[in-house]
Amino acid sequence: MLTVKDLYASYGAINALHGISLEVNEGELVALLGTNGAGKSTTLKSICGVLRPQGGSVEFLGEDLIGKKPEAILKKGISLVPEGREIFTSLSVAENLRIGAFSCYERDRYRYDLEEMFALFPILEERLQQPGGLLSGGEQQMLAIARALMSHPKLLMLDEPSLGLSPTMVDQIFDLIATLRDRGTTILLVEQNAERALRVADRAYVLKTGSMEFSGTPAELESELDIASVYFGGTKDGSGEVTV
Amino acid sequence: MIGSEFIINTLSLGSLYALIALGLVFVYGILKLVNFAYGEYLMVAGYTLYVLGTFTPIPWWLTMILAVALAAFVSYLTELIAFRPVRTKSLDAMLVTSFAVSVLLQNAALLFVSPRSRAVPFPPAFSESVTVFGATTPVRNILTIVTTVILLVALTLLMKYTVLGIAMRAAADKFTTTRLMGVPANLVISVAFILSGLLAGVVSIFWVGRSASVDPLIGFAPLLIAFIATVIGGMHSLQGAVVGGYVYGLLFNALSIMLPASLINYRDAFMFAIVILFLLLRPEGLIRGGYTEERVG
Amino acid sequence: MSTPKMARIGSPGRPAAFALAALLIVGAFAVNAFAPFVVVGIYTYFCVTLMMVLGLQMFMGNSGILNWTYIGFVGIGAYAASILSTAPALKSMGVPNMYPALVALQIPVVPALLIGGVVAAVIAAILAWPLMRLSDAVGVITLFAMLIVFHVIMTQWDNVTNGPRTFFGVQAFTTIWMATGAAVITLLGAYFFRESSLGLRLRASRDDRHAAKAMGINVVGVRYLTFVLSSFVAGVAGGLWAHYITSFSPKSFYVGEMFVLLTMLVIGGAGSISGATLGALLVTVMREGLRQLEGYLNNSGVINFEVYGLTELTMAVLLVTILIVRPAGIVGGQEFRFPRIGGKRKPAEAADSDES
Repeated sequence: MLTVKDLYASYGAINALHGISLEVNEGELVALLGTNGAGKSTTLKSICGVLRPQGGSVEFLGEDLIGKKPEAILKKGISLVPEGREIFTSLSVAENLRIGAFSCYERDRYRYDLEEMFALFPILEERLQQPGGLLSGGEQQMLAIARALMSHPKLLMLDEPSLGLSPTMVDQIFDLIATLRDRGTTILLVEQNAERALRVADRAYVLKTGSMEFSGTPAELESELDIASVYFGGTKDGSGEVTV
Repeated sequence: MIGSEFIINTLSLGSLYALIALGLVFVYGILKLVNFAYGEYLMVAGYTLYVLGTFTPIPWWLTMILAVALAAFVSYLTELIAFRPVRTKSLDAMLVTSFAVSVLLQNAALLFVSPRSRAVPFPPAFSESVTVFGATTPVRNILTIVTTVILLVALTLLMKYTVLGIAMRAAADKFTTTRLMGVPANLVISVAFILSGLLAGVVSIFWVGRSASVDPLIGFAPLLIAFIATVIGGMHSLQGAVVGGYVYGLLFNALSIMLPASLINYRDAFMFAIVILFLLLRPEGLIRGGYTEERVG
Repeated sequence: MSTPKMARIGSPGRPAAFALAALLIVGAFAVNAFAPFVVVGIYTYFCVTLMMVLGLQMFMGNSGILNWTYIGFVGIGAYAASILSTAPALKSMGVPNMYPALVALQIPVVPALLIGGVVAAVIAAILAWPLMRLSDAVGVITLFAMLIVFHVIMTQWDNVTNGPRTFFGVQAFTTIWMATGAAVITLLGAYFFRESSLGLRLRASRDDRHAAKAMGINVVGVRYLTFVLSSFVAGVAGGLWAHYITSFSPKSFYVGEMFVLLTMLVIGGAGSISGATLGALLVTVMREGLRQLEGYLNNSGVINFEVYGLTELTMAVLLVTILIVRPAGIVGGQEFRFPRIGGKRKPAEAADSDES
């Protein structure tokens, strides 16, 4: 479905990605793991057109996405839940959702979608008229995901959805991601919380300072590589708990 | 005692200033661009009133509609031709561009019309006096207030209840994220410029109406007013601009009355000194908006 | 994720700065020896303008802040130096309402010019401290508002400036040698400033204000010092200009003239000395040419209306074109690799896919 090949990207003089490749097939949940600064967010930004990569290709459903505007890429069916949630704080929850449905608005379907979102996230119905900025972190994350789902994406990309959330909220978010996966949504999940991400993922990639270090199933990853090394750069026998 | 005349005058002046400020903030909110060419949209409408009113038999109301439409169109054109190509570069490039566009339009008027001011015909009813609440004032002032109220209501409805309005507010809040939701960047920016030009056009009718003449530099004073009002009210929300406009109207009228005759010529300097002080004490203005300072790329 | 794009260390532009200075001197000799009288005048004017542009470059080019007030400091220098150097008899005739104490003053021109610069710098020092904290829109509007305040005071305070009327009777002191000398000194000064520790810190703060702060750079302080320094150059240049033109009024220190300086700086490339110089040269030549054309059109009767604003119109079109095609200015990518005027944006983070 999504094929990224040999992607190069940089911020000014600093290279952020050195030729990474990855693939997401329909119906899969693929986790993209790595430490801070490994290039995870840069990869997502390059895919959705916020950042223009220096080289390589991004193909989605057989179409080249490089050079396309973010709004055009959304129309192709890729929706991003950005890092830090990026809720429109001065807009109400309802307005946030309405903007989420900007590209595919039909009155009846919109109503139906809203009901569906309320079923997934009951809290949003309660808070419908409140400004997005007044929601708690977890509620904002739910709103961000709901907002992204309103465009009926073929591929949903989540950038660090558990970041900065309380443990119970993290549980809820991962349950939700599992639910979405079970419903057949194709997901590319970027996470620092490798343990949790691997529990829900079908396949995983590990990025390290801009290069792809590993790809395979979670089981393969566990056997080949100590997860801790992903974080601390240690060896397989390196000690250390995986902390988040 | 504050006379009812003072109140009506202040309300009318404040309304005009509120509209002026609002037009500037529409573009600022989304692009973070202080558009120096804003006053020239008003000039364009003024010259349209002059040309159509003087050389064609078009009725005055149609002239006014055309003037407003042309101001909006020129505003859109400047976005399309000058601002869009530099938008992704730097904020200062855009700022200098807006200044250059302003100089360009001014000098086009100098070159193709005349450096001298031109009389603009208005229907006589416009400047007839009426008595409202014991205050005698030109019809124009009452019209200014009424028009402003209608426009503010209409804009509020637009911004609150239409997708386009919601998208514009979203874009002013987080531009890139708004694009990620599928809202085309060019659409919201163009609409912002069109609304900005539209307001400049409406303002022009009343602004030009006060002196019944238009000249190439007519846009400068309104531009300054927009600056002051937005600084007072806050650059980051549409409400702030409106509040700033009214506060400035009040301040202006009050200063005109209170300053001794020997200092009246320094009124502008006083105004700007107040603005600078204000900026230093409260850089975010009276109304703190929710808009962030994110740059548009 | 954003990574600061720090100013380049080193001084790759030194040969260029000295070459430009040498060129200015050679140019002055050549013009003086071979060119007609009019051209000597234009060259003198060019050198004075160049000094103004370089002073503007010092602050704006290195800090990325659009300094509208700059031309106001040029005006302060011009008035201060002229009042100091002009004979009492001429002043009492030219400026009938001038304070008697000011009328009585008279000192030689050179100290008058320097004092003009100092007055501008002192006023800048008093006003600028709080202003340097502001950035973006608020800063732009404040500096613009300050220009208006300056202008109102210049046009209203007729005990000092003769109000909106012309101030005349200033000695024609500025020769081609004076002007060239001043331009060369400013050019080298601006270059060494750019490469100095202060200049580097300022450029670092332009590229990434927060990163610069984190590195222990006092951004406000660095900006402030440069602003004062730049205002001093403005003041001296204003005095030189006044002693070349000999009569002037406040409108020479307002938005219109600021536009000319800004065009010169931006067209050539605000980030470099060579850019500022090239821009000043190009605009001067173009301006003179267009003025001739305007004069010709108005006198010859080829067209039946008076031509006004052709010069500014052309300059504005040129400026917009340059900004679109080459926003870093003509010199942009040369040895003084010019950074953008603003430069605050994260370089790659901006969907450049906009061109459609």
